[in-house]
Amino acid sequence: MAVIVVPAFFNTIEQSSLSTWIRESPSIFAFYFILLFHTIGLSLVVGTNALVDLRVLGVASSIPIKPMKQLFAIGWTGLIINVITGIFLLIGYPTKALTNPVFYFKLTFIALAVVFMRKMNLLFLDANLDDLSLIKRGKRFAVLSLTFWVCAVSAGRLLSETYLYLNYHQYLLKMGLG
Amino acid sequence: MDLNLAHWHLLLNHFPIIGTLVGLGLFLSSFIGENQDLRRASFIIFAGIGFLSIGTFLTGFGAAAIVMDKPGISNAAILRHEGSAMLSIWFIEITGALAAVGLWQYYRLKRPAHWTVTAVLVASILTMGLAARTGNTGGDIAHHELRIGADDKMPPADAPIVEGPIGSVLAHFEPKPESFSLFIVGNKWLWAVLMAVHFIGLAVIVGTVGILDLRMLGFLKQLPVGPLHRFMPWAMGALAANILTGLLAFIGQPENYIYSGALWIKILALMLLGVNAALFYLTPAFHSVEPLKAGEDAPMSAKLIAASSLFLWFTMITFGRYIQPLSNTVRLPGALGPN
Repeated sequence: MAVIVVPAFFNTIEQSSLSTWIRESPSIFAFYFILLFHTIGLSLVVGTNALVDLRVLGVASSIPIKPMKQLFAIGWTGLIINVITGIFLLIGYPTKALTNPVFYFKLTFIALAVVFMRKMNLLFLDANLDDLSLIKRGKRFAVLSLTFWVCAVSAGRLLSETYLYLNYHQYLLKMGLG
Repeated sequence: MDLNLAHWHLLLNHFPIIGTLVGLGLFLSSFIGENQDLRRASFIIFAGIGFLSIGTFLTGFGAAAIVMDKPGISNAAILRHEGSAMLSIWFIEITGALAAVGLWQYYRLKRPAHWTVTAVLVASILTMGLAARTGNTGGDIAHHELRIGADDKMPPADAPIVEGPIGSVLAHFEPKPESFSLFIVGNKWLWAVLMAVHFIGLAVIVGTVGILDLRMLGFLKQLPVGPLHRFMPWAMGALAANILTGLLAFIGQPENYIYSGALWIKILALMLLGVNAALFYLTPAFHSVEPLKAGEDAPMSAKLIAASSLFLWFTMITFGRYIQPLSNTVRLPGALGPN
């Protein structure tokens, strides 16, 4: 098995008071509160993208296309919520996340999904495009966006089943260095 | 008042049987002269029973934890009842889902397709039989005097079950509760898939129902309501996926859920969402918002329904997230407690 060298820096983060608070505080506003907002952010960004993508792919075709651009504001808000809550979750468990290959897959899927979300958003903002040409050009983006969001959510759900070390201390123990 | 989960189960356990019986009666009567009003009413009942039975099914696990190993109670009868419920719940949910498809077809096509009517017919008859069996096996738990071959003596708690002719056939199809649970939690990939689907379903529901609610409340006003409502089959599909994955997750490790106050609040919110949907579709609210075009405002009654729907979905997500940290907050009298 390949040996993963975990930077001692992760230990410094884990020993910080913020990281300890996120992990160990009995307050209902600690870990699970952050996780709750991560879930709400997810539902906003994935939910609105799904709606736009499905419309572009022909579902509910009686909805006028252009006014749907308002939905992107909700989507971007969800994404911002998740970047912020994601950073807090990462501060709580840096070793757990950053030693898990699935975590990097998740970030890659999110990055790709966001690229196509942005491309789609630009199509909706293009005043020169009529509905038909928008749909024609947006179909590929819609399929890719849906695919990458499904992959991102699935990879995120896999994290709790696939991590190698819960924290730096556990890493040392497993390496026989504790 | 000290109402525990066993009481809740006793309160809810008549709905799947009586409800299916009433629904089936109306449905069969609807074939006389093709009475569409009766048929639609029966679909509404089947869909409602699909909702309520989730509460019946889940509280049953709490009730089992309370009465297990008690004098006068047969543990074997509890396990048989549990296995029977684990079979009938899927048929109840399938009947409810097919009825929901039929209701959508009433809305879009004026009447349900032939395949839907046939499917509801088959599913509801099977459901009726299985629900009756589940009720019977449930009755045997505390009423041993009604069991086949019973005499006046109290049987020991581990006395084997004697099946009648129908029961002995059905028993083959009923899962053993423990092995069903082990199958689900024993496979971590299955578990990961369940959770991933549950979250994607959640996102689709928020994207469809949540956005429709926001539109009715007066946000996103450039979107016309009727066309936005065309996404409802996607919301129903996502809800079906989440009921399926949620039930399977619960069956996988019931002891992680039944002692969590958050789970019961979440399920209460789900039941209230059923009421919310009924208020929306069965009062004039839906017809008042459906024709709304871009820029038009929804009436106050529809806004109240939309606001309570948003609130209830928020409650579902919040307490879903807190099931784990609150997994030891409900005390069940005489039960073993969470692991």
